[in-house]
Amino acid sequence: MNCELAQERIVTAAYGELPDEQAHELERHLAGCANCQAEREQLRALKLLADAYPVAEPDANLVARSRLRLEEALDALPPMRWYERLSQHMMNNFASLQAAPVAALLLLVAGAGVGSLSGFELAQNRAAHAAAAQAAKVQAQPAAAPAEGATIANISSIVRQPNSQMVEVRYNQVVPQRIAGSLNDPAIRQLLMLASENSASAGVRDDSVGLLAAECRAGHGCQATGIRDALMVALRYDRNAGVRQKALEGLEPYVAQDVRVRDAVLEALLNDADPRIRTAAINILEPVEADTSVRQVLHTVAYSDRNPNIRTVSRQVLSRVPEIQ
Amino acid sequence: MQARAPEMELIREAQAGSRAAFDALVRQYEHQVLRLALHLTGSEHDAEDIYQEAFLKAYRYIGNFRFECSFYTWIYRIVTNLCLDQMRRRKTRREDHAVVMDRSGDEIDLLANVSDDRSFSNPARELDRKVLGERIQAALTKLTPRERMVFELKHYQGLRLRTIGEMLNTTEETAKNTLFRATKKLRLQLAGLR
Repeated sequence: MNCELAQERIVTAAYGELPDEQAHELERHLAGCANCQAEREQLRALKLLADAYPVAEPDANLVARSRLRLEEALDALPPMRWYERLSQHMMNNFASLQAAPVAALLLLVAGAGVGSLSGFELAQNRAAHAAAAQAAKVQAQPAAAPAEGATIANISSIVRQPNSQMVEVRYNQVVPQRIAGSLNDPAIRQLLMLASENSASAGVRDDSVGLLAAECRAGHGCQATGIRDALMVALRYDRNAGVRQKALEGLEPYVAQDVRVRDAVLEALLNDADPRIRTAAINILEPVEADTSVRQVLHTVAYSDRNPNIRTVSRQVLSRVPEIQ
Repeated sequence: MQARAPEMELIREAQAGSRAAFDALVRQYEHQVLRLALHLTGSEHDAEDIYQEAFLKAYRYIGNFRFECSFYTWIYRIVTNLCLDQMRRRKTRREDHAVVMDRSGDEIDLLANVSDDRSFSNPARELDRKVLGERIQAALTKLTPRERMVFELKHYQGLRLRTIGEMLNTTEETAKNTLFRATKKLRLQLAGLR
């Protein structure tokens, strides 16, 4: 054994990690090497000196302060987005959803699952539960194989465990799912709202907004937050005019009672690219024609809208309703 | 195994969203986390910040924990990474600092071997424990963040080199070599004291 190796082993031994047979070899070397004996002494001195900076127990105040601050931060975290809660709800209650009662109006929603990320988390959780059962016995856990019928969206990382053949690959999956239920089922409604903003297909958005709008016109549970919001978002941002049209129709019953709906319709009147939608907006605004802000918008439209028909109709509406005193 | 079973349950509950279960996990590990952060940073304020970031991260990512290592290792990995980041940030603020990477990606501190305290000449004062403690702390800051971390985990926290390797996402062998470098550097730093 040369001195360089011996000096490394001195450190290992000083920290109790030298295997017994190597420790024996080391002793033999040290017996004949004054240099290395000195090294060992030096290391012992270092260890003693290092303990002049002892590990302090955190005082009770520090612990309490830290914990309080953490609790406050956790309390302040925004609640999970509704589709995250939904995917968890579905994961936990898969069986009960399958058994959901079938009402007069059935809806089948097929297509991409609730976002590829949730699919990944679902797959992960399933793998976690499966792996946990065997965690004690086997050290290297094979991860769950990709779910059947699922497409792999992307690979996010590849990590090779040092000194082994084991590789961990993280990937995101899109898992097609389907659910059947009545329009009254909150899970179905939530999916429809998600579809209205999130679907790549205009046809799907059209269907979902159409259904939500029908619910609103019929007065079935069209609360301010939730479906009404989804319709307003569709009206403002959807690229497809047919979808925006349906959203507008769904909002019609609320234009008088809900100022936000009224404003959303006014925005559509001013900004929508499609003249049919702007025309429909004017008609829908009839119950609130006398409102000052509505009249202001109608004035603007009467003079500056590109479409002559719309300018005419606006002027007609303005002349029909007398100024408010 | 018996002792681990209840913790496994807590973890699963926390993964399912139970805040109470997560809080119980925090209480199990918070002293260790603070002890480590406090000794590494030397500051209650910094230790508190690291505690906060570590447990918030744990809360956010607990869904990713798949029982492939112990929860203890998993938490420590988060804490050590945060501490390493903080130590690196502190280091780059020093202008007279030349840092170079060696083949394994660890930093070689070119100035560390120059002991700038040879003028600290009064031996009697050196033996004063408080002063000595400060000298040790100063010597420790001259190590690279990884060397400092390995020395901390081995010497002060008493962890096995294999565990240290797992926590720092490296091999036991690399951790061992880092320990050698750390002890060598420390001895050079403290040579003036004997």
